[in-house]
Amino acid sequence: MLSIKDLNSFFGRSHVLHDISLEVGKGDVTSILGRNGVGKTTLLKTLMGLSDRVTGEINLQGRDIASSEPYARARSGIAYVPQGREIIPDFTVRENILMGGFARANGKPTIPDIVVELFPYLRDNLERSGGLLSGGQQQQLAIARALAADPGLLLLDEPNEGIQPSIVEEIEQVIFKLNRDLGLTVILVEQNVRFAREISHRFAMMEKGRIVAEGPTAELTDDLVHEHMTV
Amino acid sequence: MAEVLFIGLSLSSILLLIALGLAITYGAMGVINMAHGDMVMIGAYVTVMSKIWLDLSFFAAIPIAFFVTALIGLVIERLVVRRLYGRLLDTLLATWGISILLQQSIRLEFGLSFFGINIEGLGPGLQNVSVPSVLQGTVHVAGTDLNAYRVFIIAVTAVLTLVTWAILYRTSFGVQVRAIIRNPQMAAACGIDVKRVNALTFAFGSGLAGVAGVMMSGFKTVFPDMGSTLVVDGFLVVVAGGVGSIYGTILASGLLGEINALVALFSNDIIARAVVFAVVIAVIVLKPKGLFSFKGR
Repeated sequence: MLSIKDLNSFFGRSHVLHDISLEVGKGDVTSILGRNGVGKTTLLKTLMGLSDRVTGEINLQGRDIASSEPYARARSGIAYVPQGREIIPDFTVRENILMGGFARANGKPTIPDIVVELFPYLRDNLERSGGLLSGGQQQQLAIARALAADPGLLLLDEPNEGIQPSIVEEIEQVIFKLNRDLGLTVILVEQNVRFAREISHRFAMMEKGRIVAEGPTAELTDDLVHEHMTV
Repeated sequence: MAEVLFIGLSLSSILLLIALGLAITYGAMGVINMAHGDMVMIGAYVTVMSKIWLDLSFFAAIPIAFFVTALIGLVIERLVVRRLYGRLLDTLLATWGISILLQQSIRLEFGLSFFGINIEGLGPGLQNVSVPSVLQGTVHVAGTDLNAYRVFIIAVTAVLTLVTWAILYRTSFGVQVRAIIRNPQMAAACGIDVKRVNALTFAFGSGLAGVAGVMMSGFKTVFPDMGSTLVVDGFLVVVAGGVGSIYGTILASGLLGEINALVALFSNDIIARAVVFAVVIAVIVLKPKGLFSFKGR
């Protein structure tokens, strides 16, 4: 599905990602793990085309997209749920969801059935302002917006960060459903090792802008977690 | 008194036509477009030239001016502004340069005056446009006689403001523009072609300024530097109203236009202008984000 080769990424003068290579299989959940500030979010932003400059290859279904514009990547099936959600506070729930639909192949934004099914709260509050929603509801909205693009690959950046515990489980279930039932390929940036082990097929551990370990989730040992994630 | 308010409203209308484009380009793209005033100037010259060379009526000049200035705006965006997104001060300097270029090219008749070739209507001199007879004289509304030309300006502005509002709030293109104003990175990540939308927005804003130029040509002399002061007025409105807010722009242009007209009645135009500056400074000091800025994240 996605094949990254020798990817380097820059913001201004700072060189943030160093020689990242990673294979993401179709239908897999790949967790990107590591401490704060090692470049996990930058990796997702770079995949979406939001960094200043890159070298290397990003092959999406056999096509190199490393120099494509962000909107073109979105239209070729990558959807992004950023850290901090970044929904638009003075757009209604409906407008926020439809915003994701500009990436649809036919260019006609609609609210997909899966959103209605997964997020009954959003369905019932389509005319509310996005800014009035709680953190967990905003996270649901950000996921709904990504789903409106009808994507093949979903980039999720710490979907459970700063959300009340009651909703965390709900969001986890949603991610399970999107992957296991709908076959969405997912790249997940996560701090929570327990959830990463439950959901992912593969993992990649990052340290100082490099991938220092990767493999199937079975190889994500406690030693590895201890070495690269405990503060 | 009603007459003064009416004159103020017509001043406000011109201000609004100039400021709408600025409010959207500054809000959506973070570009300070110093050449915006020169779109007004070009709009005014289109009126002059379409009369001299094509013998077209004043009314026909309105759509022509819109398309000519929109096209020039599109070219400026493609060639210069596009390379400068995210660099506010650089956009100011670069567009200022464009502004000087445009003014000089009109003054020097595109450089042809060096070869002794003169184009009627261009050059450093002053040009006048005569308003069609339908718009001369007065119309009788609700017991008062109103200057027909000023009524026309107000009506054109009302229609164009409504069209702008409808585009922004009732079309899919408008959703894209508003999404870019709020969060350009996320807009791009949602599949919005930010460059294309920006270019079209820039062109539309320039087109509105061109129409403002047609309106101005009817009651002011047309000359190459006329845009320089207008761009300042436009930015005063945008800053006072709140960047990126269409309602703020409408209300601020109304406010500043009326203040100008009222103070001018009791003193003169120069003092009126000083008072307008003072009001804008007070607004910036008391509400740095303008009167009606949208809530930040």
